[in-house]
Amino acid sequence: MSMSSSEATRQLEGKRKVSAAKATVDAALRVGGLFVAVIAVALVFIIINPNFANPNLAVSVLRAMSSVAIMAMGLTLVIVVGEIDLSFGAMYGLAANTLAVIWIVKGVPIYAAIPIVIIVAVAVGIFNGFIATALKIPSFIVTLGSYNLLYGLSLWVSNTGTFNPNYPPPGGTVDPGQLNFFIGLTQNIGKYSLSIEIFWMLGIAVVVGFLLHRSLFGFRIMAIGGNPEAARLARLSVQWYKVLAFILCSVLAAIAGILDFSFIQTSQPDIGLSQTFPVFAAVIIGGASLSGGKGTIVGTLGGALLLAELQIGLALLSPGPHVQQIFLGAVTIGAVALDLSLTKLRKSRAS
Amino acid sequence: MREQRTEDGEGIRIRGVRKTYGSTIALNGLDLDLRHGEVVGIAGPNGAGKSTLIRIIAGEERPDHGELTFDGRTWSPFSDWQAVAVVHQEPQLFPNMTVAENMLVGREGTSHGYPRLGEADAKVMEALGIGHLRDVQLADCSLATQQRTEIARAVARNCRVFLFDEPNSALTEDESAELFREMHKLAAEGRIVLLVTHRLEDLVEHCRRVVVVRDGSVSAMLEGDALTEEAIAHQMVVDSSAIRGGKGRRGRVDTTADPVFAVNDWTHGGRAFRNISLDGRAGEIVALVGVEGSGSRELIRSFAGLERCTGTITISGESGVRAIDMMTAYVPATRQLSLYSNLSVGENLLVRLGSREIAGPALLLRTRRMKQMAEDAVVRFLVKTRTTSQAIRSLSGGNQQKVAIAQALHCAPKLLLLEEPTRGVDFHSKAEIYRLLRDYADDGHVVMILCTEVLEVFEAADRVHVVAEGTVSPSLSVADYDHVEQLATDITRLEQASRQGLAKAG
Repeated sequence: MSMSSSEATRQLEGKRKVSAAKATVDAALRVGGLFVAVIAVALVFIIINPNFANPNLAVSVLRAMSSVAIMAMGLTLVIVVGEIDLSFGAMYGLAANTLAVIWIVKGVPIYAAIPIVIIVAVAVGIFNGFIATALKIPSFIVTLGSYNLLYGLSLWVSNTGTFNPNYPPPGGTVDPGQLNFFIGLTQNIGKYSLSIEIFWMLGIAVVVGFLLHRSLFGFRIMAIGGNPEAARLARLSVQWYKVLAFILCSVLAAIAGILDFSFIQTSQPDIGLSQTFPVFAAVIIGGASLSGGKGTIVGTLGGALLLAELQIGLALLSPGPHVQQIFLGAVTIGAVALDLSLTKLRKSRAS
Repeated sequence: MREQRTEDGEGIRIRGVRKTYGSTIALNGLDLDLRHGEVVGIAGPNGAGKSTLIRIIAGEERPDHGELTFDGRTWSPFSDWQAVAVVHQEPQLFPNMTVAENMLVGREGTSHGYPRLGEADAKVMEALGIGHLRDVQLADCSLATQQRTEIARAVARNCRVFLFDEPNSALTEDESAELFREMHKLAAEGRIVLLVTHRLEDLVEHCRRVVVVRDGSVSAMLEGDALTEEAIAHQMVVDSSAIRGGKGRRGRVDTTADPVFAVNDWTHGGRAFRNISLDGRAGEIVALVGVEGSGSRELIRSFAGLERCTGTITISGESGVRAIDMMTAYVPATRQLSLYSNLSVGENLLVRLGSREIAGPALLLRTRRMKQMAEDAVVRFLVKTRTTSQAIRSLSGGNQQKVAIAQALHCAPKLLLLEEPTRGVDFHSKAEIYRLLRDYADDGHVVMILCTEVLEVFEAADRVHVVAEGTVSPSLSVADYDHVEQLATDITRLEQASRQGLAKAG
């Protein structure tokens, strides 16, 4: 035993470096394809119109991807644990509308209103997660329901109205200090008018990235998504982790809603609903598997970046809105096809 | 006198069939004759090549070498799969459709309309006693009816070979009696019928001949007066190169010490077993032996808290739910229920650990420490892998099984529960797994294993309880046996005694 074990340890030592290098190459292959696509698309746009090669445009792309990316990171967690959330777009809208009403109309200070909205989001996440896990209703159905439910709440809370903190409705007042704080959350700074929303996105990416790839929570949700039955037999608290993933998804959607409201400064009852499918596309382009247990934050960011790039590029070329939609569809399918063929390539390399 | 000889070339002749998977030889030149009109039983320990033989006859796999003939002509079940019907323990049907529709799937005919039941099919269903259920959705039918539907499908498509694979393990006594009546009817009509089951009494009662498959070939053929339960049990283990890894160290268990683990009056919520009392001392490996449906599987799962039970349980001073939650860890029989295909070997080894072991402040993973732990575990649990970061699927079955067991050992349970710890595992890994279990028991823990085979009991355990009809026999001490055959005979006797005891009581 002692001899063979020390021998085995030595062998492992030697192979550790090789394996680390190989793992890096594998990861690069996985995410690499996506970023090659991002660069290739950028090059194509620049060839079509050389004026596109300017930093201001790059900044608008990053701004445009921010809220999609924030929601997509939350959705990645839910998809990794093996569930689906369709309600985050409606949560985004409910967050913006609730904030608008309690702050602008009811006069609750912004510093209290934002935490209240986050608490609402936590409650929505608990609702989704609890109904899906305790009552064993598929999360697709539960969140299809809560999508409509939350949109209904948005209509009710806002009384189907539109709000802008710069122009409070009759009877409401907005403290200028609070207004400055709120607008400051996402204001443009610096030479290239970089929106602070981009930094929010990056900060959240670091936190969620650590959560998914470097924390016990991430390890457990990977395991649960990979084999829920084994996780149950190993007595991991499957329900708790699933509920937690739903809560994080709702909270991130609410944060995206608040930040976009701060940037656009207008809320409508139906904002966010149309974000549902682009966010799904970003997660799937990013390499997450709808069957669970697979997904990365870097990939999801790449997916969101590719979509924003296409959206802005095509909008400026203005061939019409139909082209954007057609590209969204083609890219989603193409990315998954690419991912599958890369997986095949990796497997053939391994054997 | 039973018929001994038939015309040469009648029925199926299997000659010199070989099949290898990688470096494992599953079948090594197997010869077997199957005649029309007789029921032939196939017995054999797990991993002996029995299931490979079944898959070849069912046309699910091609042999690497060897010849099969059917009525004198060269025959490939792989391309002539229509000729063979397999009746599974779990019918392979369409639960969302009616019984009649299930008859028709795949045989819809040439018309483009919605298929309708023909007269011939209706007769077949009538003969099998499922004619009145034709419009009932299959999901609403009992398992017995579903199996009949499967048989009816096969009869309707004129199958000439019927393979019953553990068909009655989930049936009631009456249902299995009826199933066997149908089986004999099929044989009486001149079809070739094979019965594969772990239940020795069914083999003896229903088969004209029983072949025992071991080490990839037919090691014995029993018929006539030689066909008894004891003889089959004996043949399954005779001359086997038993490992007996822990024999020299057996007997060190302090039998006067208080048991670490004890249950009393332990009764299953679903009536799979009742009023069971068991115990285990530190350093002991206790085996439970029982066929499917005996309650043995439910019993071992109940100690892991996976079955609803009443009674008292104490483990190392804790009792009830606390004892089950804190002191036990369970390894299911199939690796698919333990391993995570999306995680690496190292991550699989550590997946059951909690924040104390692998996470630091703010629940962040301590990756470097995890890597070290994974590498230590690979060495300690004898897992043969090039690196800890490779995919779990790249390991051999035996090494995957070691990872599955290591997951549970990492939790340091006082009572380690394993279902068939060496199922589908090669000879060498088997010995290593037994050594792991022995070492773990020696550290002052109790190990309980569910075995379906006597050989495993002989090689791994200190004591064995036989589970039959939901009751547990007094334990046999494995150290009292020098030969596995004697142990096999005694276990079979205890099983029979339980059944007869129940018959008398009832």
